[in-house]
Amino acid sequence: MERINNILVILKLIESLKRHGSWCGETHVQKAIFSLQELKGIPLEFQFVLYKHGPFSFDLRDELTAMRADGLISFKIVNESYGPQLVISDRGEEIKRKFSRILNKYDNSIEFIGKNLGDKGVVELERIATALYVTREMRITDKDSRIEKIVALKPHIQSIQAKNAVEEIDALIREANT
Amino acid sequence: MTKNFHEFRDPIHTFVKMDSTEKKVLESYPFQRLRYIRQLSTTYLLYPSANHTRFEHSLGVMELASRVFDTITHSDNLHNDIRDLIPEIHDIDALRYWRRVLRMAALCHDIGHLPFSHGAEAELLPKGWDHERITKELILSPEMRKIWSSIKPPLTPEDIAKLAIGPKKMIDHPFTDWEAILSEIIVGNSFGVDRMDYLLRDSHHIGVAYGRFDHYRLVDTLRILPVPPEGPQEIGQSKETTLGIEQGGLQSAESLLLARYFMFSQVYYHRVRRIYDIHLRDFLKDWLPGGFFPTHLSDFLELSDNQVLAAMYNTCQNVSHPGHDAARRIIERSHYKRIYEFNPDDIRINPDSVGVVYTVLKDKFGEDLLRFDHEKPKASENNFPVIRSDNGRIVSALSLSETLNHIPSARAEFIFAHPEISTTVTQWLEKNKKSVIELKGEE
Repeated sequence: MERINNILVILKLIESLKRHGSWCGETHVQKAIFSLQELKGIPLEFQFVLYKHGPFSFDLRDELTAMRADGLISFKIVNESYGPQLVISDRGEEIKRKFSRILNKYDNSIEFIGKNLGDKGVVELERIATALYVTREMRITDKDSRIEKIVALKPHIQSIQAKNAVEEIDALIREANT
Repeated sequence: MTKNFHEFRDPIHTFVKMDSTEKKVLESYPFQRLRYIRQLSTTYLLYPSANHTRFEHSLGVMELASRVFDTITHSDNLHNDIRDLIPEIHDIDALRYWRRVLRMAALCHDIGHLPFSHGAEAELLPKGWDHERITKELILSPEMRKIWSSIKPPLTPEDIAKLAIGPKKMIDHPFTDWEAILSEIIVGNSFGVDRMDYLLRDSHHIGVAYGRFDHYRLVDTLRILPVPPEGPQEIGQSKETTLGIEQGGLQSAESLLLARYFMFSQVYYHRVRRIYDIHLRDFLKDWLPGGFFPTHLSDFLELSDNQVLAAMYNTCQNVSHPGHDAARRIIERSHYKRIYEFNPDDIRINPDSVGVVYTVLKDKFGEDLLRFDHEKPKASENNFPVIRSDNGRIVSALSLSETLNHIPSARAEFIFAHPEISTTVTQWLEKNKKSVIELKGEE
C-alpha cells in the first residue's frame, strides 16, 4: 500500500487499541500490526522477525519514527515507572478525520484486532503473537510442535502458557475467518 | 620470539590490539579489500578529507565492542533483575567464547560492502541481495571457515554472522536473549558501537566537530537492563533485556544521539553528497554487466572503489558509452541541482509532499531530467532503560531527559533537476506548489 494508506491504518489501529483499553506502547502496536497483517490479511507489507517480545518489524519501527518526525504521533510519558505511550497528535487527528472514509473497508478488521488485543499487556501479547508467528510464518501445524517451538524460542514462556497461547490463537484465526 | 599480540595505531582509540589468531582474519583477502572501500562514498567531493576506509572503521568497531562487552559482563555491573535471565553471563568458558565471537563479528561486520559503501547499494544488487547478505556469505565462505575452525576453541561461523548482521537481516535465525544483546552491542539503535565509531571517526577525518561525544563515559555506564514495563499490568512481568545506562551516563547518551542527528543532517544527508551518490548509481547501472554487482563471491571481491574510479575516468572520456553523462557529472563536478526538499510547512499540508511534487514534475518535465531522493528517517532508539542514581529504579530515558524527547529526525528527501532546466522547474513550482501538495481529502 502507499505510505499514506499505511499511516491511516496505523492511526486507526492506535485509536481502536486505546478505545479498548490498551496502554498502547510501541510493543502493543507492533503485535497488533503483525496480527492485523496475519489474521486479516491487510497488505501493509511490514516484514516481521522474531525478536523483542516475539514478532517485531524494524520497518514498522522506521515508519513509527517517520510518523513521529512528521508530527502525526508522539511519545507520551504518563508515569516514569512505565514506558511511553504512543498518542495521536492534532495533526494526526486531522489527517485521520480528513480521510475517515478512505480505507473504511479495513475498519472492521482494525476493530477486530482492537477488540481482541486491546485489553492485553505486553507479556500476553508476546505469547499470542509468537504463537501466531510459529503457526503462520514457520508453518508449523501440529499443536504440540508449536508449543515446543514457542518454548524453545522463548525459554521464559512455560509450556502451559504456550499451550494456552496456541489455543487462543487458533480460536482467533477461526473467528477472523468467519 | 614470535610476537603473539599486535597493536595498530588509531586516531580515535590510540591503539587497537589483537592476537595472532585474530590477525589471520585481518590478513584475509576479504578483509584487506576494505582498505579500498571509502567509508563515506562520494563525500570526499564535498568534504575533501573524507578518504578514510572501512578497514580502519572495522578495527575501531572491534575495539569498542570489546570494551562494551567487558563493561556489561563485569560482575560488579550485573543488575539483579537480569542475573537469572541470561545463563551465559555466569559461565566463564561461554563468556570467553562469545567475547571472541563478538570481536570477530565486529571486525567483519562490513566485509560485504559494495564499492563506495552505501552510496551505490540501492538498486545495484539483484533482488534479495544486500551488503548484509554478502557479509553473511563471506563469513560463511570456505576461506573464512578455515580461519574460524583454526581458532581455539573453534568459532561457529553462524554465531559470527548473526552478531555481525543482527536480527533485522538474519531473518531465518531467531536470536536468543544473549545473542540479541551481543548483536545490539554492534548494530544496536541506541548504543551500537558501529554507530559510535563512525560518528567519531567520520567527524575526525572530515574536520567537523558535530560527531564527537564522551564515548569513554558512555561505555563505562552501559549495563544490561530489563526493558521498563509498558503499563501498570506489566510490573515484574517482562523478561526482555536490552542495553541501557546508569543515570550518570545520560548526558553522554544525549550527546551521542545529538551527534548522530547533526552528522546525518550536515554530512550523510547533505544534498550535494546525495546527488553525487545518485550520479554514481546511474553510472554503475550503465557500467556493470546487467546493471548489477556480481554476487558470486570471487567476482564480488575483485571490485573496490579503485576499479570503479578507473572505469569512471575512462567512461568520462568516451562520449558513446551509456554511462558517459553520469561519469562526467561526477568527474567534472557538474551535478543536478536541488529544486525542492522536505520542509516542515509542506509536510503539515501533506505528509508525502516530496513524493507528490516529484510525481507531478516527472509528468511535466520528464523523468530523465529529474532525480528523486527519498530515505525514511532512521529510527533512533531514545527509549532505553536508565538506572536512577537516587533510588535505583529502572525507568525510560524519555522520562528523565527533555533533550531525548526533542531530538528531531534528519531527513533526506530531495528532488534534483538537470542544470539546464532547474531554473524553469523552480519557477513553475513556485507558482503551482500549493495546488500540487494539497491533499485531496473527502471534504
